Amino acid sequence: MDILARAYLPRIAGLALASASFLAVTAAEAKEITIWCWDPNFNVAIMKEAGARYTKKHADVTFNVVDFAKTDVEQKLQTGLASGTADALPDIVLIEDYGAQKYLQSFPGAFAPLSGTVDYSGFAPYKVEVMTLDGQVYGMPFDSGVTGLYYRKDYLEQAGFKPEDMQNLTWDRFIEIGRQVETKTGKKMMGLDPNDAGLVRIMMQSAGQWYFDKEGKTNITGNAALKAALETVGKIMQADIYKAANGWSDWVGTFTSGDVATVMAGVWITGTVKAQPDQAGKWGVAPIPTLGIEGATHASNLGGSSWYVLESSAEKAEAIDFLNEIYAKDIDFYQKILQERGAVGSLLAARGGAAYEAADPFFGGEKVWQNFSDWLAKVPSVNYGVFTNEADLAVTAQLPALTQGMPVDEALKAIESEISGQIQ
Amino acid sequence: MAHARRGGIGRYYDVNGWLFVAPALGLIALFMIYPILWSLWMSFQSGRGMMMKFAGFANIVRLWNDPVFIKALTNTMTYFVVQVPIMILLALILASLLNNPRLVGRGLFRTAIFLPCVTSLVAYSVLFKGMFAPDGIVNSTLQAIGIIASPIPWLTNAFWAKTLVIIAITWRWTGYNMIFYLAALQNIDKSIYEVARIDGVPAWARFTHITIPLLKPVILFTTVISTIGTLQLFDEVYNLTEGKGGPSNATLTLSLYIYNLTFRFMPNFGYAATVSYVIVVLVALLAFVQFFAARERDR
Repeated sequence: MDILARAYLPRIAGLALASASFLAVTAAEAKEITIWCWDPNFNVAIMKEAGARYTKKHADVTFNVVDFAKTDVEQKLQTGLASGTADALPDIVLIEDYGAQKYLQSFPGAFAPLSGTVDYSGFAPYKVEVMTLDGQVYGMPFDSGVTGLYYRKDYLEQAGFKPEDMQNLTWDRFIEIGRQVETKTGKKMMGLDPNDAGLVRIMMQSAGQWYFDKEGKTNITGNAALKAALETVGKIMQADIYKAANGWSDWVGTFTSGDVATVMAGVWITGTVKAQPDQAGKWGVAPIPTLGIEGATHASNLGGSSWYVLESSAEKAEAIDFLNEIYAKDIDFYQKILQERGAVGSLLAARGGAAYEAADPFFGGEKVWQNFSDWLAKVPSVNYGVFTNEADLAVTAQLPALTQGMPVDEALKAIESEISGQIQ
Repeated sequence: MAHARRGGIGRYYDVNGWLFVAPALGLIALFMIYPILWSLWMSFQSGRGMMMKFAGFANIVRLWNDPVFIKALTNTMTYFVVQVPIMILLALILASLLNNPRLVGRGLFRTAIFLPCVTSLVAYSVLFKGMFAPDGIVNSTLQAIGIIASPIPWLTNAFWAKTLVIIAITWRWTGYNMIFYLAALQNIDKSIYEVARIDGVPAWARFTHITIPLLKPVILFTTVISTIGTLQLFDEVYNLTEGKGGPSNATLTLSLYIYNLTFRFMPNFGYAATVSYVIVVLVALLAFVQFFAARERDR
């Protein structure tokens, strides 16, 4: 046994080494770039398009775009980074802007800096800001989450409202319209997931505030925008003009099934709205309602994300070159993803393109892209900080009590105490 | 001579014996003992992601000031206090009913009640989520037969969400416990019951005075196992609430909180390790209490 092992072990080891290096060689020749992202109607489809464009010019590079749920992408990434081994990680990953600083700060050295390669002066500055740490810029800015109010023209017409009536709304007026829509059509005004703070975030940023101030300190009890946002969500829930949803897919189902009259979300939802061909021509887009406080605007942001290259990736050089060639230079690409998927990119030069001027038949011939582009310029800039997930959970924890008539100031205090317990 | 040879063989066996258990011991050391010690060391550190620093007892102090931790702990204890007794009692009753040799279709019932245990935790949670949706089959059935007027908000109301979790884990685990009782019931001498019957002891008294005392070791075992399971409750809540423990943290468990601290929030592995040691301490304490309580009644 002993002799056998002594005689054969080196040979077995040698064989194993040889096959391993053989595998490495073939892998280097094939050059497949693996990408993780989350929305089959949006960034997955867009990345496939981008990959196809790159493969056309560089036949040796192919792409494997993997589609997960967004939380799965985030949690798989966090697990992989924490484990310290890069084998399970992709070459490029999509990260939502709210989480970018969290990953950059807690896993230093995990992402490849692109500062030397990419010309960042061509991108919207707020997108570059969220991916900058200690003077280095780490990602490829992708889409903006500029928000809009998507509404069903047919339902609103039945309730006696014209598209003009949907412009320049306040939230109080929105709720009033919601009541009438329900009496006249039996449809709820909007889908709402009480465990998702997205609506609160939209309202809060529309008035130029966030959970954290510019220095990153918690900004809750003195936050007039957050207070007004919570009051408004409380009113919406008390007026019962919403269809309750449990989870993202359930929420998407509220409007794809035609059960609700409006959708409030980032422009990236366009792809999902348009995925229902039978609803073509029935949708319109208006600016979101305003909060009745100082500094309130009709423009806000929800989500928006960017591409990051893993430092440990075997195809790092190709991945960076790919992102730079398509996302930083290909204006035509941006026109296509705008028209097909509703992706408002953050490359400024792309906004001069013809697609932004075009009318969209799905929205009854409205020039929706021009509108989104105009609203984008008005989005108040805020500092997302690194604890948005924690703050979100603290906010949703208070929503039920708020609906049952808890004073908003008390809710704010509870949120502040929960957040300060979380961020240390 | 013979003595010396035996010594030689003894040593030979000794070395071989150790060689045989060495791989297992090595694996246990690598995958059990090392992580346990390492997580203990981690629980004294704090920081963001990979940037960890020694923090002494700061994490333990933080536990007391963390309302979310207190909430998760209260929820977990609520599940434990409400669900474990219900399930154990239910399993006991079902086991004695199904132990009746005159019952027609015993095998079918046993299989039906045990079957939930072989389903995947994720699969059944997703199914329950659909069944208990506002317009799901449970609400529409209850409405159709006139028990309720408007749908029960199973997933959006704090009380009903907790109830749903309890219903789900009871459905999943009652059959599992029942199998232990069925096996133990086979070992009880039938003559004990015969004597009791001849003496005119009613059925309920036979259950409380013969069955339960004789099953005590098994009841203790299943109680400890169920306690550990409930304190580690994760899959059901994660899948029913999309990982959020909502509404307003009403279903959040300690394990889910550990998961959030590690994978959803700004990762703080040190604090997450501290919370997981809370579970260890709780399980140890509760198991001790249960063993103690079982021993008391013997006297």
